[in-house]
Amino acid sequence: MPVALEILIPVLLLTGLAIVFAVLIAVCSKKFAVVTDDRVDKVASLLSGANCGGCGYAGCDAFAAALVKGEAQLSMCNATSKANKALIAEVLGGADTGEETIVVCACSGGELCSDKYDYQGYGDCASVELLAGGRKSCPVGCIGMSKCVSECPAHAIDIVGGVAVVDQGKCISCGRCIMYCPKKLLKRIPASAKYYIACSNCDKGKEVRVNCAHGCIGCELCAKNCPEGAITLKDNLPVIDYGKCVSCGVCAEKCPSKCILTVKSK
Amino acid sequence: MPYVLLIVINAVFVNNFVLSRFLGICPFLGVSKKTDTALGMGLAVIFVMGVASVITYAIDLALVAAGIEYLRTIVFILVIAALIQLVEIFVKRFSPSLYSALGVYLPLITTNCAVLGVAIMNVTELATTNILYSFVNGVASGVGFTIAILILAGIREKMEIADIPESFKGFPITLAAAAVIAMGFAAFSGLSFG
Repeated sequence: MPVALEILIPVLLLTGLAIVFAVLIAVCSKKFAVVTDDRVDKVASLLSGANCGGCGYAGCDAFAAALVKGEAQLSMCNATSKANKALIAEVLGGADTGEETIVVCACSGGELCSDKYDYQGYGDCASVELLAGGRKSCPVGCIGMSKCVSECPAHAIDIVGGVAVVDQGKCISCGRCIMYCPKKLLKRIPASAKYYIACSNCDKGKEVRVNCAHGCIGCELCAKNCPEGAITLKDNLPVIDYGKCVSCGVCAEKCPSKCILTVKSK
Repeated sequence: MPYVLLIVINAVFVNNFVLSRFLGICPFLGVSKKTDTALGMGLAVIFVMGVASVITYAIDLALVAAGIEYLRTIVFILVIAALIQLVEIFVKRFSPSLYSALGVYLPLITTNCAVLGVAIMNVTELATTNILYSFVNGVASGVGFTIAILILAGIREKMEIADIPESFKGFPITLAAAAVIAMGFAAFSGLSFG
C-alpha cells in the first residue's frame, strides 16, 4: 500500500465518521428535542445565582422553576437586585409587587411544648433532629437548640422561652436560617404584616393540645372572627391572606391557644 | 453459562476496573463524597459500559474486516462519545425520570477511560467471539465500578465526622482509604477456578 494511501484512509475514515455522527446528533437533537419552558432559563439567569437557599428551594435553578410554575413568589428571594426582580416579573408576565419580606418563626411552643426525651450532650438542632425527629413531642416544634442563632449573620435570632424569636430590627432577611432550620419553621411573610401564625402543626386539635399549650387546635375562631375574611383554614392550620389583612388584631385576641403573634417591632 | 459467570466474577472482583486496573479514577475520587451521588454515577457507568460494549464490538468486527484495526482506539473514542450524546437525547425525550436520575453523570463519562478501557479489552484481552460476552463484561465492569465507588463513598461519609489529623483531612485520607480498599480487592486475584 503506498504511503499516501496509508495516511489517506484513516483521515478519510475518521472525517467521514465525524460527519456522520455530527449529522446524526444534530438531526436527533432537533427531532427529539424536549419542549422546555425557556422562561426557566431566563429567570435563572436573572436571579442572583448565590444559591444561598434562603428561599427554601435547593438552589437558584430550582427556585426559578418554582417561580415559573407559580409555586414560589419573587419576594422569597432577597439576594436578587431590584432591577433584576423587575426584569423577572416581566418575563413571568406579572407585575413585581416589589414587596420586602421578613422572617418569623412559625412555632411558639418552646417550654410550653413537652419534651419526648431529655437531650444532654453535644450538638444543635440538626443533630437533635437526627434522634427520633427532635426532642419535642410535637413533630414540628421548635427544638430550641440554637442552630438558627449560630447561623444568623446579623445576630438577629434569640431563643426566648425555648423557641426561636427573630428580632426584626436586626434581621437582614437573608434567609440563612430558613435553610438551616431542620424543621423548616422559619418562614417569610410580607414586611407589612403585623400578625402571623406561630404554629405549624397540622394535626387535629386534641393531638396538638396533648403536647403543647400554644399549639393551634384548628378551632377556626380566627377565621370566623376576621372582619376582612382574610383567614382560611388549610389542613387544620389558619392561613392569613396578607393581601386582605388589615392588621386589626382580632384573630390574635380571639385565639384560645395564643398562637397568633404580633411581629416583634422594628 | 459458566463462562458468563467467570466473566462477571472477573470483572467485578478480580480485575475490578478501579481497584486493580486503575481506570476511571477521576469519577472514583471526584464523585464519591456522598453515597447517593456515587450511586447515580455508578448506574450511569453501568449503563454506558453496557451500551458501549455492544456497539464497539460490532464496530470492531467491521474494522478487523477492513484490516484497519490499528485505528481501534481513536474510532472507539469517537463512537462512544457520539453514542452517549445520542443516548442522552433519547433518554431525555423518552424517560425523564431516568434522565434526572443519571443527571449530569451521563455526559460526564462519555470520554471516561474506564468506558474506553472496557471497549478495548472486550476485543483484545477478552477476545470473545460472542457479542453477549462483551455485553456481560461491560455491565459487570460497571457493577464492579459501582461497588468500588459506593464503598469509598460510604467510608468518606464516615470520615467527614471522624477525628482525622489536620494534614490528612480531605484528599490525603481519601487516597489512603482507596489504597486500603484496593489492597482488600487484591485478595481476589488469588481466586482460581480449577
